[in-house]
Amino acid sequence: MSTRTGICNFCGTGCGHLLDVAGGAVRGVFASPDHPVSRGRLCVRGWHIHELLSTRERILAPLMRRNGRLEPVSYEEAIAAAADGLGRHAGNEVACLASPRASNEDNHNLTKLARTVLGTPNIGLSSDQGHGDAVDVLLEGAGFPAMLGALTEIRDARLILVVGGDIARLNPIVGSEIHRAARAGAELVTLSSRSTQIAKLSGRHLWTRPGGLRPALAALAKILVERGWHDAAFLRDRAEGFDDFARALAGLDLADLAAASGLEPAGLEDLARRLAQAPSAMAFFTTGLAGLDRASTALLFDLFLAAGKIGRDGCGVNPVTGICNIVGSYDVGATPRFLAGPRRAEGPAAGRTPRELLALEPTPLRALLVADRDEEIVRHAAKLQALDCVVYVGAYENPFTEFAHVVIPAATFAETDGTYTNAERRIQLNRRKVEPPAGVHPAWRVYADIAARRGAAWPAASAEDVMLEIAATVPAYAAVTYAGLEKGFGLQWPVDAAHPAGAVRFDAAAAPRRLRFVPAGADPGVPAVSKDFPFLLMAGKANYFWHRNNIMKKTRIPRREYNALLLLYPQGFVELAASDAKALGVRDRAPVKVVAAGGSMRVAVRISADVKPGTAFVPYFIEDMVPGFLNAAGVTIDEDQDSAIPVRIEKG
Amino acid sequence: MYIMPKSQARALAAALAEEYDLYGPVLREASGEPTFDRVEDPAAIRLEAAIPYNPPKSVVFPQAERVLSYRYDREAKKAVFVRDDLVRPKALVGLRACDLSGLLCLDRFYLGQDYVDEFYRDHRKRMFIVANTCVRPFPQCFCVCTDSGPAPREGFDVALTAAGDDYLVEAGSEKGQALTRRLGLKDAGPGAAARRAAIVDASIASFDGAAMENKAWISRVMNRITTGFISNDVWEYIGDQCFECGACSFVCPTCSCFNVEDIDSREGRTDRVRSWDSCSYEGYTRMAGEHNPRRPVEDRRNKRFFCKLSYSQSKKYLRPGCVGCGRCNRVCPGDIGIANVVTYIRREITKAGAK
Repeated sequence: MSTRTGICNFCGTGCGHLLDVAGGAVRGVFASPDHPVSRGRLCVRGWHIHELLSTRERILAPLMRRNGRLEPVSYEEAIAAAADGLGRHAGNEVACLASPRASNEDNHNLTKLARTVLGTPNIGLSSDQGHGDAVDVLLEGAGFPAMLGALTEIRDARLILVVGGDIARLNPIVGSEIHRAARAGAELVTLSSRSTQIAKLSGRHLWTRPGGLRPALAALAKILVERGWHDAAFLRDRAEGFDDFARALAGLDLADLAAASGLEPAGLEDLARRLAQAPSAMAFFTTGLAGLDRASTALLFDLFLAAGKIGRDGCGVNPVTGICNIVGSYDVGATPRFLAGPRRAEGPAAGRTPRELLALEPTPLRALLVADRDEEIVRHAAKLQALDCVVYVGAYENPFTEFAHVVIPAATFAETDGTYTNAERRIQLNRRKVEPPAGVHPAWRVYADIAARRGAAWPAASAEDVMLEIAATVPAYAAVTYAGLEKGFGLQWPVDAAHPAGAVRFDAAAAPRRLRFVPAGADPGVPAVSKDFPFLLMAGKANYFWHRNNIMKKTRIPRREYNALLLLYPQGFVELAASDAKALGVRDRAPVKVVAAGGSMRVAVRISADVKPGTAFVPYFIEDMVPGFLNAAGVTIDEDQDSAIPVRIEKG
Repeated sequence: MYIMPKSQARALAAALAEEYDLYGPVLREASGEPTFDRVEDPAAIRLEAAIPYNPPKSVVFPQAERVLSYRYDREAKKAVFVRDDLVRPKALVGLRACDLSGLLCLDRFYLGQDYVDEFYRDHRKRMFIVANTCVRPFPQCFCVCTDSGPAPREGFDVALTAAGDDYLVEAGSEKGQALTRRLGLKDAGPGAAARRAAIVDASIASFDGAAMENKAWISRVMNRITTGFISNDVWEYIGDQCFECGACSFVCPTCSCFNVEDIDSREGRTDRVRSWDSCSYEGYTRMAGEHNPRRPVEDRRNKRFFCKLSYSQSKKYLRPGCVGCGRCNRVCPGDIGIANVVTYIRREITKAGAK
């Protein structure tokens, strides 16, 4: 037992932990009593990060595909092959997929490699869509592209509205802070289409029908504005665009919105009144998987803006990231929609994600670099197989390497210095605690070596040097230094000349421009059931298991928990309300056929109190099942959003 | 009873460091929060520190420990077993009474039953324990309700009790006696035992004002839990607040459950690793044939509090399974540390009584 302070590398909460290091290896982990966000707590994932850090399923040597097999080669050979293979292509022929788990330093260098050396704007992040929408809305509305409030201020909020996914499962310590605030007297309301743990812990649960979040948020805004409950003085002093927003709301019909949301108008009115009257209020929603779409995010922002609950103490619209460094990845511009800052990429600077390029017919893509891919589900496998060059950079063994021509190992977060920016914009430094295996380098170094082989000599000799480059590129990081970060538990951006110690929350009074209402755009309507397809099927994450991801399977206890569920339902499951199961004449674990307009799948029934009659839920994480069904059926159901498709469920 | 100036505590630790790996309470640089850790420099041990955030459990029961390694030779059809023997003698300096009680619980679980756990025994057998009386309680404490403090009663080699500028030093073993001789400690005189008793009494008396959980109603709740007269609503109220993180088990000085897994390597070696486990996990009670007697979370929580507070379980430990350290309250993402659970059950008892 010899513990070193660090930051958990799983979700965007960024909890503090103590890694037990002995004999050059990580032996255990303990919650850090003094971290300002986690204050001595960790979730089931965080309590087992030492199992991941001590796994044997590491990539330990550079590999190249020869005669169809990956064979060990020298580091120099692998770098040369990667640089040459990627460098033969430019523009839309080449793309990079950055890892939201990687450090700011890694992703800064990968972005620089893509944009300045490979000459492509096509740099994407896995699991980025939902957060990209939040960045977009907050940038437009507040000029402040991340959480407006702070996790450390949750206990100052008198009303907390959780929208969508189960924050108690996805970001348990954020869920815990919200629960603690509610125990101390804050009003907690959940708005979601499924019963979740945070819904069970809430004083009120507004249980929408699938697809009902957006009309519910529009209805709340309409009630708030039309009853005159908006904060007129705040809007006059700090905001613009209110008249257009009110006009857009006037064109909506409250009865229609309530019906589409599946909620009683009285319940919506009650919440709108409480929101207006609360002295402070925060909204939370998880981004990425089970996140909100752009329109719902815009409506949520507008609702809180109208209520005057932005840029004040205990207030804020707060996207919560599912992976540790999604915020930082956006900050350094590791995405095709935004450049470092993040600021919107326009014209030729705007690129596409590898997934978007692969979806094109025919795909222009010829070469691809992928870092640390978490997901198990590989879309477009045939197109990936046809690429001229696939380079994989990562710490752990990964099924994706089957597509790779070159594999380059990378150090884990415990084996190198690096910074990670959590959901509340807290830039935190993880120091190297153990040596990487012989011949394994940090990813930022790998990208620099690939660049060097393409003739670009980058001066940064350490992760700290890379941070100096980031500080010169990203205005919100302008005054960041490792020494400054190390004084406490990181700093919340903006960290610049005006805020040398960072900023806990967005401050409307000190903002350089007025807040703006963000148009939600045209209403696509909600899916409707019919006689032939009487159920609305939602797809999402299973409660317990995180990001259906590759790395959780390299742990022992979390993997056991994952397997416990898989063993019960080896072919996957569909959750149905008990009354629906009874009407169908099926018991728990009985086989059923889920039929959509374009296809069908066989799964087992899981009777659950978490879905309402007339709705069904499938977890997305079970490979081959849901994506197979959805792809074969030609159905689009976006796992990231509150969407659903009409289906029929047949016995047997 | 001996007496030692406080300034000599460092010499005591330094003397032990010659023979043992030192462990003790240290203060985290960033915040001053105490943790129990391996100490290279005897001066880093802070005897006056509050209860460390982590219990000393991992010294005898590591979070993950390789207990066996084997390699199977296919041609010879023979397995070659390798046993690590890296266990070093350890001195735990500054153990609070609750944590010492926890260690004794673990002893009874691992050593005191039909089967003696040799891995635990190896960690435990060459050990020197310096216990430390809590002359005042900390806000989270309720050891007076669980019969585990504030003063150590057994199981130590040396016990310290702060008395002004000195420590009263009690030797609890031959090894302890030898240390007092080696340090040249003076006899504390005839009034020492009474002086120590007065200090302990004053500490107990100050629980009322200083400790938040001192009226934890442990004995009434033990009765209820043992007889099972607790309504399902209470367990559901508790279950809804369980985030299934496992922290309560990991910070508990007496939780001893573990999981064992064989981990293969590509080179043909297999490691058998035992790791901490927790009854808050669904997979913990899953049996072959997919049967799970405790699948709903409230059933799993109910199991934990039965283990800590029932009479039948206490018979195994010869004391309650809870030592009153209050750590589970601090780490719980819900609000169901043991003191709170006792409160929820007490509320039900009082409500029932009012009817």
